[in-house]
Amino acid sequence: MNNLDIKKELVKMLGPDKVLTNDLDLMYYSYDSSFLTKLQPATPTAVVLPVSTAAVQQVVRFAYENGINIIPRGAGTGETGGCVATEGGIVIDLSRWREIVEIDVNNMQVMVRPGVIHADLNDELAKFNLFFPPDPGSSKMCTVGGMVANNASGLRAVKYWTTEPYVLGLEVVTPTGDVIITGGQQARCIKNVSGLNLTKLMVGSEGVLGIVTLIRLRCFPRPMARGIAMAVFDHLDDAPATVLDVYQAGVLPSGIEILDGSAIKAVNDFKPQINLPDAEAILLFEVDGNPPGVEFEGQIIKEVAGRRARQVEWSTDKKRMAELWEGRSITATAAARVRSDGSRIFAGEDISVPISKVAEVLRAIRALGDKYGIKVVNYGHIGDGNVHCAPVINPEQPHEVELVQKLVDDIHLLAIEMNGSTTGEHGVGAARRGYAVLEHGPAVEYMKKVKAAFDPKGIMNPGKLF
Amino acid sequence: MEFRELPPVKEQIMKCVRCGKCRELCPVFGEIGIENASPRGHVFMVQMLRDGKVEPTSEVYERLGQCLMCETCSANCPSGIDVHELNAAARAYLTQNNPNRGKDFLYGNFWTKPELMKQSIKLASLAQRMGLQKLARNIGLTRLLPGDLKDAEKILEHIPPRSARSTLPAFTPAQGGTKYRVGYFLGCGTDFLSPEIAQATVNVLSRNGCEVYIPEGLKCCGLPHIANGKLDVAQQLTIHNINLFKKLNVDYIITDCGSCSATLTEKNLHFVLQGTTYQEEAADFAARVMDLTVFLVDVLDIQVDVHTDRKWRVTYHDPCHLVNAQGITAQPRELLRRIPGVELVEMPQAASCCGGSGTYSVTHHQVSMQILDKKMSNAVSTGADILATCCPSCIMQLNFGCRRSNWDAEVLHPVVLLDRVYQQAPAAV
Ligand SMILES: Cc1cc2nc3c(=O)[nH]c(=O)nc-3n(C[C@H](O)[C@H](O)[C@H](O)COP(=O)(O)OP(=O)(O)OC[C@H]3O[C@@H](n4cnc5c(N)ncnc54)[C@H](O)[C@@H]3O)c2cc1C
Ligand code: SF4
Ligand code: SF4
Repeated sequence: MNNLDIKKELVKMLGPDKVLTNDLDLMYYSYDSSFLTKLQPATPTAVVLPVSTAAVQQVVRFAYENGINIIPRGAGTGETGGCVATEGGIVIDLSRWREIVEIDVNNMQVMVRPGVIHADLNDELAKFNLFFPPDPGSSKMCTVGGMVANNASGLRAVKYWTTEPYVLGLEVVTPTGDVIITGGQQARCIKNVSGLNLTKLMVGSEGVLGIVTLIRLRCFPRPMARGIAMAVFDHLDDAPATVLDVYQAGVLPSGIEILDGSAIKAVNDFKPQINLPDAEAILLFEVDGNPPGVEFEGQIIKEVAGRRARQVEWSTDKKRMAELWEGRSITATAAARVRSDGSRIFAGEDISVPISKVAEVLRAIRALGDKYGIKVVNYGHIGDGNVHCAPVINPEQPHEVELVQKLVDDIHLLAIEMNGSTTGEHGVGAARRGYAVLEHGPAVEYMKKVKAAFDPKGIMNPGKLF
Repeated sequence: MEFRELPPVKEQIMKCVRCGKCRELCPVFGEIGIENASPRGHVFMVQMLRDGKVEPTSEVYERLGQCLMCETCSANCPSGIDVHELNAAARAYLTQNNPNRGKDFLYGNFWTKPELMKQSIKLASLAQRMGLQKLARNIGLTRLLPGDLKDAEKILEHIPPRSARSTLPAFTPAQGGTKYRVGYFLGCGTDFLSPEIAQATVNVLSRNGCEVYIPEGLKCCGLPHIANGKLDVAQQLTIHNINLFKKLNVDYIITDCGSCSATLTEKNLHFVLQGTTYQEEAADFAARVMDLTVFLVDVLDIQVDVHTDRKWRVTYHDPCHLVNAQGITAQPRELLRRIPGVELVEMPQAASCCGGSGTYSVTHHQVSMQILDKKMSNAVSTGADILATCCPSCIMQLNFGCRRSNWDAEVLHPVVLLDRVYQQAPAAV
């Protein structure tokens, strides 16, 4: 079927307001946040904007019958080209499907459609004193569907882990056009070990096994209190060591974040009122729970971190906490500010290493940056060894692009060598698929078999993961 | 200056990391939900234009033209990208490549000549009073207008019969000794749509020790031209106005319109005047420009020692061009608090756009109304009897919003309320 006919059929199926066919409009779907799609944008054949399971199913059936690729997309904040039609096809943009179907307060769960924005969900849940704990830096822009597909996590993974344990069940349109419900057809329970765990399989599958159309999420009671300790270090190495000290002291903070010297500068440049101290590194420890417990743990952190840190600021003031947390959240994009003619790129940005090796890795990344003459801003979820590196280059200078690709490759290889992973939370997508065999060995073949079982024609988000 | 040479185009595009933070902040994207309406999408499209990957067609203009220039994205972009400037630069380039006689006349001619505008407004107002509009509607003339214009024209109802400039003197002395010589940048919106604001501004400034000068021949600040791809005309207007105020040698240049003061900031003038030799003079000019509420609160530190038995429950809407473009939020509120009888109640999302943005409510009526309805439901929830804001374009839109939502609150600029209170106790001269 030629592209014109595909477009015509889709319009007939969904109506003109739910299909984009104009070449200009399609170009806007040629990218996500990845550096990869900046270099190699890929324009889809058509974009559909369904807001019902039936509509998704119709499109998938049509694609299956005609052997056309389909690529699910949320907000396009992924950093791996995962939602981009790198091998052509129809993009299914689910970000307009923003319905919170039900907040089941008595059962501590919520049912949402895939396009709901993470922060919006938590704003709604707050009205019932509930929350969905994973907290990506992209909370205000990414969709819950995208989080499920990427098994996103973020600043609070230290204590609350990733999206995966919260997903109780899913409605999925499979690549053959069936609609299945994982986690029990009628289930509203929290614990459930019946059957093969397809929910777990779907979470983090990056859209290669099916399209998630409904998500049943477990919620937690909102913590009554929070506090943030900021520890300031003159030597970068002292920061990871302090993380271990705090664990050894028996404290499990809800988040432990690091910003290196250049990340600090970037944040201060964007929001001077946050006023972070000039230092080689700072650590932010977030503690949550009941008020006396928060204060107690805050004081322990203050004492323990104070052994290596130049200064420790402990705050339970709402405004200050919001500022510090925001400072960390915006680092990902604000990193660009360290160079007036530069931009940070999302590539090699998400390695995960054993906690014991964080200091070594940070040193190694610094050395790699020096080797290639590229400024690298480091920040991230140090509490679980998830380091975010932000190379800052002028992406319009071909030699810098060439060098940074070598740097990024070295960073990925470094992570594997250090018993880590090329990605802790952002996923593989198209950007990191080349490392699959190195990381997983023969297991990759079994991944492919699982995919083939779901997707016999190989139309579902091809060119991703492996 | 050639499009590709413009500093934002040259320096900023590559800084966009496409993080998407701006998507969810954009009021237009919030309604449309398609990437071509998102700020990230706009930056991308400007890049495509720059790189010659798309032709400078009117189709591209349509996509970029969805932006109402509220600057929310620019104010919040962690990479520091002035998305609206990129968009304006692209619109100028697209306009050059797609000449449009109607637009040339409107922005190149009509909107540069205060006299012509005055006459037309008179006519429009007259037509309204004589019911010609109704007649035109009845005989189907409005059917010639595109789709929702028929509804959109209702926004322009109640055009005042006389502009402010036709009633205000060029010079008003200070009462009780001169503290400052103030030039009044009387913007088009205030002049033609809300002349009562101008009267109140002059009264209040004079009462608080300011000589007020309204320069003869003052022209538009240039914002409509920037937003409509007529950067060259905006440049001429700016230079004209700078020269005009230079002659006056005033301490401050005050405006009661958030859009005018935003257009006259050093940063924006730098953008408009690139390629000219006026940068230095512009900096000096911009340093004197100040929003009226900032001047009254921060410089004059006025205290309103007037007794009133009246009580007003007031809620305040932040105009985008004050909050996003200039970060001004505190002074308008503080001014309201200083007015005796005012109880200030915050509405949820006071800083979200009202969807007005000059002609946007007419050209993109449906989206504009969707944005407006959200604003109104927040405003109505306060139970206020006055909805205050510092921008005549917002006032026009919010007035329409009140009618749409059957809410009988009065929409006004804080200075109008202040003047009303002052009128109860005339100053001792
Ligand atoms: C500034 C910034 C900060 C970030 N911080 C974090 C962080 O702290 N932690 C973190 O984990 N991530 C982070 N991310 C990455 C990204 O935001 C997350 O991976 C997010 O979950 C992606 O959601 P999205 O809606 O943008 O998905 P998209 O980018 O649109 O898609 C991501 C993947 O999910 C698939 N997909 C999307 N929706 C569906 C669906 N309904 N069904 C099936 N497949 C689907 C797509 O095919 C694609 O493979 C950050 C990104 C940015 C730009
Ligand atoms: S304009 Fe700024 S906020 Fe928007 S996508 Fe680009 S970098 Fe992010
Ligand atoms: S200026 Fe306002 S309307 Fe325009 S893209 Fe930015 S946020 Fe959207």
